[in-house]
Amino acid sequence: MSERKNVIIDLEESEKNRFGELSEIESAEATGVMTVKNVSAQARIWNVRVNLGDSRSGTTIKDSTLSAGEVEAGGEWSTKYGITIDGPILTLTETYDTCSSITAESPHWAYVHGKENPVRITLHLKNETDGQIDNIIVNKTIPPELTKVKVDSAKSGMAKFDEGTRQVVWKDFVIYPKEESTLTLSGLAHVDDVSEKNAGEVVISYKSQGQQRSCLDPDMTALTEFLSGIETAETEPNHWECTLECSNETDLIVRLDKAVVFLTPEGGGEKKKMVEVAPRVEMKPGETWRSSFEVDSKAPPKCTPDVVYTPVRVVKRRVLGTATKVPQILPVCQITYAKSFDPSEVSSLDKTPVEVTIDIKNSGSARLDQIEVEDSLPDDVMPPKKEHVTVSVAGKEYTGTYGVTITPDDQNPETPHKVRIKISGMRDSMGELKPGDSLKVSYAIMAWRNRPEKEYPSPIHCWAYTHPAGFAAEAVSTPFAHKLGVVYRKRRIAAKKAISKGSKAGEYVITLVVENKGEVTVENVKLVDWIPSGFTYVSTDPREDEPKRNPAKDGTDMVWTWARMNPSDKKSLRIVVKGEGEYQRREPEVASD
Amino acid sequence: MLKITYFGHTSFRLDSKDMSVLLNPGIWDGKPVVPDDCDVRVIVATNHFDDAIGNATAIASKSKAWILGNEQTIEKAKSQGGKPWLLHILRPEEVYQIPGLKLVPYSLQRADPKSGEKSQNLGLYLEMSGMKVAYLGDTVVRGAFGKIEADVMIVPVGDGEVFAVKDAVSLCIDAKPRIGIPIRWTAPEQSAKFRKYLEQFASGTVAILMEPKQVLEIQWAAGNEFRYKVS
Repeated sequence: MSERKNVIIDLEESEKNRFGELSEIESAEATGVMTVKNVSAQARIWNVRVNLGDSRSGTTIKDSTLSAGEVEAGGEWSTKYGITIDGPILTLTETYDTCSSITAESPHWAYVHGKENPVRITLHLKNETDGQIDNIIVNKTIPPELTKVKVDSAKSGMAKFDEGTRQVVWKDFVIYPKEESTLTLSGLAHVDDVSEKNAGEVVISYKSQGQQRSCLDPDMTALTEFLSGIETAETEPNHWECTLECSNETDLIVRLDKAVVFLTPEGGGEKKKMVEVAPRVEMKPGETWRSSFEVDSKAPPKCTPDVVYTPVRVVKRRVLGTATKVPQILPVCQITYAKSFDPSEVSSLDKTPVEVTIDIKNSGSARLDQIEVEDSLPDDVMPPKKEHVTVSVAGKEYTGTYGVTITPDDQNPETPHKVRIKISGMRDSMGELKPGDSLKVSYAIMAWRNRPEKEYPSPIHCWAYTHPAGFAAEAVSTPFAHKLGVVYRKRRIAAKKAISKGSKAGEYVITLVVENKGEVTVENVKLVDWIPSGFTYVSTDPREDEPKRNPAKDGTDMVWTWARMNPSDKKSLRIVVKGEGEYQRREPEVASD
Repeated sequence: MLKITYFGHTSFRLDSKDMSVLLNPGIWDGKPVVPDDCDVRVIVATNHFDDAIGNATAIASKSKAWILGNEQTIEKAKSQGGKPWLLHILRPEEVYQIPGLKLVPYSLQRADPKSGEKSQNLGLYLEMSGMKVAYLGDTVVRGAFGKIEADVMIVPVGDGEVFAVKDAVSLCIDAKPRIGIPIRWTAPEQSAKFRKYLEQFASGTVAILMEPKQVLEIQWAAGNEFRYKVS
């Protein structure tokens, strides 16, 4: 009987929370169970009333007093209620950074297709209350694409990755009031397709003793096996000592709150209150309490006691919590490109404007913020000027800023060039490039007298980034890709010669016909014809085509040059020479570029 | 100052203080581009097809203008009733010069609109009021014009019957005129491409796309500064 036993009012409140993809609180719900536990081994309690007063606000309990009726020894009575809460007592923030090796102002949120993505997962817990939280168990599901998973650090407790279940379990720690704890994991992710990935759920359970989510402040009154009675003893003739005696017959602690004794006068009349006390004494099992008064009476006095008592209760509180964080959805960054020349091939040794179109498609599932393109132009091509490089999205001109660099910064067609276009900050201008959308880079080049025997590859390299920029998704051609086709046009230039007697003695008329019979324009056409020694040049028809005359070993060379002859162009020359002897014939020589 | 007025298609009028020249007053779709009462002193047709010689005879008879052209062209003018004393045959690279005008014709080729066969066609090099104008009419070849020094080069742009855009651009890149004017294009994108490519690849050459009735004025300001204005 020495053990103190109190009736227990147990408040067990459970919160169930859900965090969104980015750790925002999506929902927070709480319920409670109030239980009156009669811990007595022998005594029942009855007329049990739980008084809540004004403390039930924020709960679904409607009455300020709950009637629990009778509770047998060792028995319980309980009731459930709902609680309105704003948020959990333990908050979780998960950071899933898909590119931990590049520092950025916010975590990277997309994988890059075909690359090793260095992932860092940070789980951060904060105790938002003034009480300690313990029994914390955190289960983090590790997505299947993540390999080489390891626990980098745990501020408190123990964390371990189980390869079989692909779970990281973090437990055996407490978080003190207003304190925080952090777990950091790392791994490498490799994705082979562009479908969105699930970053894995986080489930937490925890407990906080002595805390509650509601404001309930319950009290209790009940009756139990508590004896009370009046003993009247004549101490002198007609003089009585009346004793009120209360006895706790239970194994519970019972508090005596009020004791009143009324005396009925001998001659009748109104009852007289002889004892009125509020001892508020807690009586142990078997303990007795007395209160006496004396009264003169011929007959034994008639006393009526009125005793108010209740078993003493204690209130126990705890919060049990669970929280689930919705898996973050991780899109995949990928681009493809198409490059075309219009026309796709040019005539050899000609000058032809060619439209270059580079179509970069967001073929992944992530929105893109930045795209860079480097196009390598071969020699024998005049590059564009920076201001003539245009960018469009979905057929509309891109209005954001983009940079163009051309290296070397000139239009010399004799050297290769690199054209680099950087389109950044799309999300702040026209919006990020959505999956399935394309961005087009266009400019013109001038194919410049391309030689038919030569190849003109124009490889390309494209990069794409999400925001903030991490690793780039790349699309690269082979070094010999995207050849500008050169159509071989036959060069065929003919020179014919006729010698005839002139109208005067010693005069000869030399007729030369040069014709471009080929399919391509020829340039720097040079025609050389020989005048034997003994003869001199007189005139040429047309006069504008008078040749240069260079001394030769055995005569004179006549030389004509024409900058350009188109296909079918023909030059007819009539040269008059004068001299003596027979005019020896040699074939004219014609050459061109 | 030289004023270059565009009538449409391939027809231009060049006016200086003391000379006026009409180039290719053609008939297109049965309608003359230049009115019969156009008062000029010289009419030049680069070939004998209707889209070049057009109503030259009617204009010449009213204004008493000379008609210049190759033999076939002059024969056609005669057959249309052209006054023989107002007709003059131009021979390739033979200089024709009168006060206020120096003209050098060059032999080029064009395609017959019906048969598609190559036909003789003249390209013109004109000097008026200190300005040099190269006019290639309906040509499919560039001939000597790739090395001609000109202030204004008027080039056909199109496909099939005349220069492809690329050839017109290539010519301007080689000849480096101060102004390039596309003519005879059949789709707006042809002239637009001509301008685009000249801007990008022909350093020092400005492309001007003229609308019918527009006038281009060119002059040497202070004797050495080339200026132009399109009204």
